[in-house]
Amino acid sequence: MVVKNNIPSIVFIAPAIVLVAIFVYIFSGWSAWTSLTDWRIIGRMGKFIGIQNYIKLFAGDDIFRKCLYNTAKLIVLFIGITLPLGIICAIFLDLGVKGKGLFRAIYLIPLSFSFVASATMWGWMFMPDKGSINTLLRMLSLDFLTQPWITSTKQSIISVAIVYVWQFSGFATLVYYAGISSVDPDILDAARVDGANTFQRYVRVVLPLQKPATFTVLLILLMYSLRVFDLVWLLTGGGPAFSSEVLATYMYRVTFNQNLFAYGASISFFMFILSFVVIIIPVLIGTLKRMG
Amino acid sequence: MGKKALIYVVLIALALFYIFPIYTLLNTSLKTDEDLKYGPVAPTHQVFFGAYTKAFNLIKKQLLNSAVITVFATIISSILGSMSGYIFSKFRFKGDRVVFLVLVLGFYIAPQSILIPLVIFMGKIGLFNTYLGLILTHVAYGMPITTLLFRNYYEGLPQEIVDSSWVDGCGTFQTYTKIILPLSLPGFAVVAIFQFTNIWNEFLFGLTLTRGVTSQPVTVAVANLKGTTVAAWNMICAGAAITTVPVVLIYIFLLKMIIKGLLMGSVKG
Repeated sequence: MVVKNNIPSIVFIAPAIVLVAIFVYIFSGWSAWTSLTDWRIIGRMGKFIGIQNYIKLFAGDDIFRKCLYNTAKLIVLFIGITLPLGIICAIFLDLGVKGKGLFRAIYLIPLSFSFVASATMWGWMFMPDKGSINTLLRMLSLDFLTQPWITSTKQSIISVAIVYVWQFSGFATLVYYAGISSVDPDILDAARVDGANTFQRYVRVVLPLQKPATFTVLLILLMYSLRVFDLVWLLTGGGPAFSSEVLATYMYRVTFNQNLFAYGASISFFMFILSFVVIIIPVLIGTLKRMG
Repeated sequence: MGKKALIYVVLIALALFYIFPIYTLLNTSLKTDEDLKYGPVAPTHQVFFGAYTKAFNLIKKQLLNSAVITVFATIISSILGSMSGYIFSKFRFKGDRVVFLVLVLGFYIAPQSILIPLVIFMGKIGLFNTYLGLILTHVAYGMPITTLLFRNYYEGLPQEIVDSSWVDGCGTFQTYTKIILPLSLPGFAVVAIFQFTNIWNEFLFGLTLTRGVTSQPVTVAVANLKGTTVAAWNMICAGAAITTVPVVLIYIFLLKMIIKGLLMGSVKG
């Protein structure tokens, strides 16, 4: 028996539904509407100007184009490194090493750092003259490996990606480790009987079963790479010369530093559409598939 | 044997990659101004807490702000999430799946998408630059994930306990307080930890919804340390270290629950 609907149960879900309806969906719609106006002064309403902000955004805004390019580059670098690293670490931990718990704990610590703390820390790491990385390289007589890091237009977004890898690879490892250790031992035994060695067992048996884990990790990493703000804002400020500017920092700059509210709202709503296409639609498809 | 050694080398190298930045942060934060010139890698010559005192005095008001905002927002969002998670897990009504999905998908919407209306709205209802404004914001954006986590947690409790309590004449509310809540402690622990760390570490809402120190959270204060005139790296690092303490302590002592929360929120989402 499943209890059917009644008034008290509506009261129980009402706060959650009302809050999310207002703060997520109505506000997103409000952003969409604002983006169709020329509003820029608080206290005075904007005039409806259709999709002009979007035309400007896509046809005439070089910085916006840079943001798209930088975001794409960040996603490729960040996810391209984090996913394989997570899989490899998880397999290594699964191979029965000593101190597994300690390794897992250490790998997860970066996840506890706020982006403010990690931006501070890594800002100090990346300083070209006095920073920790270059200092360490010089101490090891590896001067030729020192890099300009966040001060270079070529390396600024790479530096951001490195910090993101540092922060999230422990999460990827954790999810993959949970996925790998939940593989039915009988299947592994069967593979062993068939003569598969350790490497073959992982590649042919365990990894194909990690699609749900990959989906999860991919989703969360994508989500964080689309909305990255704190880290970029505080580590590179989007620079030098907008070489690490991303959608979120540009949206903030346009809206709150330049007071171009309507134009900022068009970037906001573009981010909404992007979250929708890249994350929400895959989640919906995944959910529908699972429910059959 | 060689293979095993290789595995350890990789695992330890990675551990060093994770720890090295934290080492330089702590090492620098314990240095005297004089000692700073030896760089962030060379171990500090003496353990000096002066930078901590300086940083603490600059951010103590904001530490209090963050503590108040985080504690209240965590408690409220956990309770509301448990209530809605309970209904979505144990009751069926028309369109329940769609409502649940739409609610939970709110988690994936980037905060920038709603930022401008949020700031205007908070100004209009008089909650801009107040504790209440930030608490309300964090509670609202916490609803998708707390609902999801509690729904998944309650899925582990058998439907029969709700049904039999129903047969005994207890309504939705009594069943919740008498049957569900006493069984919810592990769920609350996981959700509260998850919420606490996220809200404590949050920066964007704190930055846009406050002005001056009245209700400014500590993340914004630490970000501002860099711009102050007395900005020495030992003090900046000390500030960052101070804000990280509560969360790292939670991670170290409650790692099992953190892991549970991370897996509960994602794998079964």
